[in-house]
Amino acid sequence: MAIGSQFLARLVLGSALVTGIVPAALAQSSLGQSGLVGQPEGITIIADPAQWPKSFNEAPQLAELVKQGKLPAVKDRLPQDLMVIKPVKEIGKYGGVWRRGFTGPGDNENGNRINASDRPILVDHTGASPNPSLAKAWKMSDDGKTFTLNLRRGLRWSDGAPMTANDFVFWFEDIYGNKDIVPTPISDLSPQGKPGRMVKVDDYTVNFEFDVPFFLFEDLMAGDTLIGGGQAVRQSDKRSHGGYAPAHYLKQFLPKYAPGGLDGANAAAKAEGYDNWVARLHFKKDWSLNPELPVLGPFKTTQAINKATWVMERNPYYWAVDTAGNQLPYMDGVVMTLAENLEVLNLRAMAGEYDLQERHIDIGKLPVILENQTRGKYKVHLDLASNGSDAVYYLNQSYDADPEVAKWLRNVDFRRALSLALDRKQLNEAFWLGVAVPGSAAPGESLPYFPGPGWREKWSTFDQKMANEMLDKIGLSKKDAQGFRVRTDNGQRLRLQIQAVQAFLPWPKISEMVADQWGKVGIQADVRDTERTLAMTRSGNNEHQIMVWTNGGTELLYLFPRHAIPVEAHPSEAFMGPEHGKWFVSGGTQGKKPEDPEILKIFDLFRSAAGQKTDGRIKTAQEIWKIVIDQQYGIATVGQSSALMGVRLVSNRLGNIPSRNCIAQHCRTPGGAHPETWFYKN
Amino acid sequence: MVTYILQRLGLALLTILAISVVSFVIIQLPPGDFVDTYITNLAASGSAVRAEEAAALRIQYGLDQPIWVQYWKWLSRVATGDFGMSMEWGRPVLEVIGDRLWLTIVISIAAILVTWGIALPIGIYSAVRQYSIPDYVFTLIGFVGLAVPNFLLALIIMYFGFKLFDLNIGGLFSAEYQLAPWSWGKIWDLTKHLPLPAVILALAGTAQLIRIMRANLLDELRRPYVTTARARGLPEWRVIMKYPVRAALNPFASTIGYLLPFVVSGSIVVSLVLSLPTVGPLLLRSLIAQDMFLAGTIVLLLGVLTVIGTFISDLILMWIDPRIRAGMHG
Repeated sequence: MAIGSQFLARLVLGSALVTGIVPAALAQSSLGQSGLVGQPEGITIIADPAQWPKSFNEAPQLAELVKQGKLPAVKDRLPQDLMVIKPVKEIGKYGGVWRRGFTGPGDNENGNRINASDRPILVDHTGASPNPSLAKAWKMSDDGKTFTLNLRRGLRWSDGAPMTANDFVFWFEDIYGNKDIVPTPISDLSPQGKPGRMVKVDDYTVNFEFDVPFFLFEDLMAGDTLIGGGQAVRQSDKRSHGGYAPAHYLKQFLPKYAPGGLDGANAAAKAEGYDNWVARLHFKKDWSLNPELPVLGPFKTTQAINKATWVMERNPYYWAVDTAGNQLPYMDGVVMTLAENLEVLNLRAMAGEYDLQERHIDIGKLPVILENQTRGKYKVHLDLASNGSDAVYYLNQSYDADPEVAKWLRNVDFRRALSLALDRKQLNEAFWLGVAVPGSAAPGESLPYFPGPGWREKWSTFDQKMANEMLDKIGLSKKDAQGFRVRTDNGQRLRLQIQAVQAFLPWPKISEMVADQWGKVGIQADVRDTERTLAMTRSGNNEHQIMVWTNGGTELLYLFPRHAIPVEAHPSEAFMGPEHGKWFVSGGTQGKKPEDPEILKIFDLFRSAAGQKTDGRIKTAQEIWKIVIDQQYGIATVGQSSALMGVRLVSNRLGNIPSRNCIAQHCRTPGGAHPETWFYKN
Repeated sequence: MVTYILQRLGLALLTILAISVVSFVIIQLPPGDFVDTYITNLAASGSAVRAEEAAALRIQYGLDQPIWVQYWKWLSRVATGDFGMSMEWGRPVLEVIGDRLWLTIVISIAAILVTWGIALPIGIYSAVRQYSIPDYVFTLIGFVGLAVPNFLLALIIMYFGFKLFDLNIGGLFSAEYQLAPWSWGKIWDLTKHLPLPAVILALAGTAQLIRIMRANLLDELRRPYVTTARARGLPEWRVIMKYPVRAALNPFASTIGYLLPFVVSGSIVVSLVLSLPTVGPLLLRSLIAQDMFLAGTIVLLLGVLTVIGTFISDLILMWIDPRIRAGMHG
């Protein structure tokens, strides 16, 4: 495993530490003693061919098809370079359908994540160490300019066609390279704006070549990124990335290959009710909509996501077996039923109508969920995330509509005072049932990017006295009759607006408590409960003063920086300074250059990281986090919690379920835990 | 008579057209468009969309054109029976609605029947026995039914249904019939699930109808013709049922027009809570997502339903009330 770099090795070590830290964090609450937080555990991949099984079994349904001559024998369906998985606990048995809830056609991530193994590299259960998936090996050259991917020999698509380097090159040249489908190059393939190339070496070897050192590419390939993300997530819902695509199936929809060229492709699209060939292609390459599409994950769609139920069945050509030679997955399929709202979904989960559900489960309902455990015949697991904060108050650094407010948002002591005024313990008890860790926005202590001791507490403890003193000192000492501080320009009360969206967490309610706490140091904040799309449009237009959001994903700073530093532009949730993000992304041609030297320093550090080797990247990330926390562009509350996808209800009938899941975007919760190895005990 | 009907039909068409213009404008009112919503959702699942990609999507959906061009394109397609593709669901609008329309109609009719079944007898009883103890009791229950938001009622009933009787949470089918093709078993399964949503939807309208029936009947009961009928020695139930009740029925007939759209759109919250696969939640969803063709078609459908309902109630009124018939000739 060439990518077994120090970065990832440290992350692995780190996860051992996490287990030591968590019980301490939970000790204050009764949940700590409940045994709900398990130990991270995961499957083992057997790399040594000598230990591989020599004979193979398959599901009874597939055996029947083989008997009828409709399917080749199991040994002919499996690749030469097998993926042999030792499940978490035991060898399972075939059968059963996984019942689960989803919220509609927009919820395709629900299924994409189950098929997460359809990417070249997938992180293991710690979220830190990369495991082989479609690729059996990979290597970055010493100069950081060539990355080589070795695919499994004999891989097959779900329709039986061979999967080779040609499918990678097809994606690169005909999908990614077609401006009608993908209008702009992605930064994942363009270090310092210089486009990289994908080159076929032989049928099972692909090279990625760059003009400048791009060591970060190792992390990008192993993360949930546009290039490393695989087919299910990156080519559904009108997305067109993912690194490879089924050439033998998709070619017929492209003008370049379709009979009759562009006119032929458009005519065929119109005949099927699509406006043009691009619209038709978007449909045809979407695994959640098109049951015909060849896929590589453990399951394929049989009834599309845009019906009342989304139904999947096992992929007969799935390329992994257990140590006894049983072809995976064990489960016959997945049936997701549409829940018109989240309350119903949560109630159904408690009624035991789902076999495993962590998505859309509301942590606020935990007491009721626990109460119904026996009745609903499920067990509850609490999985913990490693991002620093589930509610960060981002102060818009490029805000300019009200110069007085803008002046204070850009004042570092004003920001620090606001942070010191927060009683994070009260927030934690009220909205996170005490399970979260209060403090700064920094990622979990055990992670390599954590800047070091003291940075969890820096400017992030509760100190009303100091907050008041700082506010007095910077020129906000005058107060009105109600005790609120007044503006320096017209003597009116200084009012800040918090824009809050009811999304993953009850942010509007949380913000009411935050506003109340700020009120105690004389700062008036008004909470604007805003519909999500409107909120995004407003912040895209640089209209918000303060926006509250999670910083989930920032634990991998370089892969998902948008909620740590202002280096992305609208529509990528640029809350910390949309105009500065635009300036950074456009290379200085659009937006507004930040006056704050600390932000410019962040930009320089971030830019330099892509060409640095692992050690250098870690140091740079720590430097960035130190600036971010010292400057308090985002005021963090509490994090490392189970709030998002961390409350998991598992039917007592299921086996091989890890007692703790990795909760992170790149872990593809729950897909990183390899659902193909889960089975029904009875 | 024929001119009257033709007149009504012409007005109905104009009304529908006006509704379609208004609905299209309303859908466009909130800032942003479908692509904005779509990008927001993508961002939520961790994907990034660039401004260039967003622009490409807008062109693909025709969102780059002015509203009136979009409207005209949509309307001329609707005229040929093509309602377009739902942006969110990626399927023809008619198909998306069609899945849910039949169940919506079944639930609506069940709810209307339950409303009448409860409101009529109680209304008559409390008018005839005005200020009796049962009159007060029913009136109280009626007002409570009116005052309690029915989504709350739905939640409470659902919770106790689950807690005490192990009922399914929401929906119209058990898990085993969810995917099955239509069969007697599936119809029976639907019949078993129907009473709960029907009763909850019915209760809100019941109180109103009880009060209307009671008030109207009280007016009628004091009329001289009732006294005359009594004096002629007709049995009491016949006196009441044959004349005053018939006259008091008018409001029932005239509200039919509003009942159909009410059950589709007025019950959105209840349908959401009960997770009913009806048109209501679809409308809400399409409005939030600014899925114009889907929302536009549903609003248009509601308009058509209202107009048809009003038309039917006009006809029924003509049939049950000779005075209205006479008025037309005059």
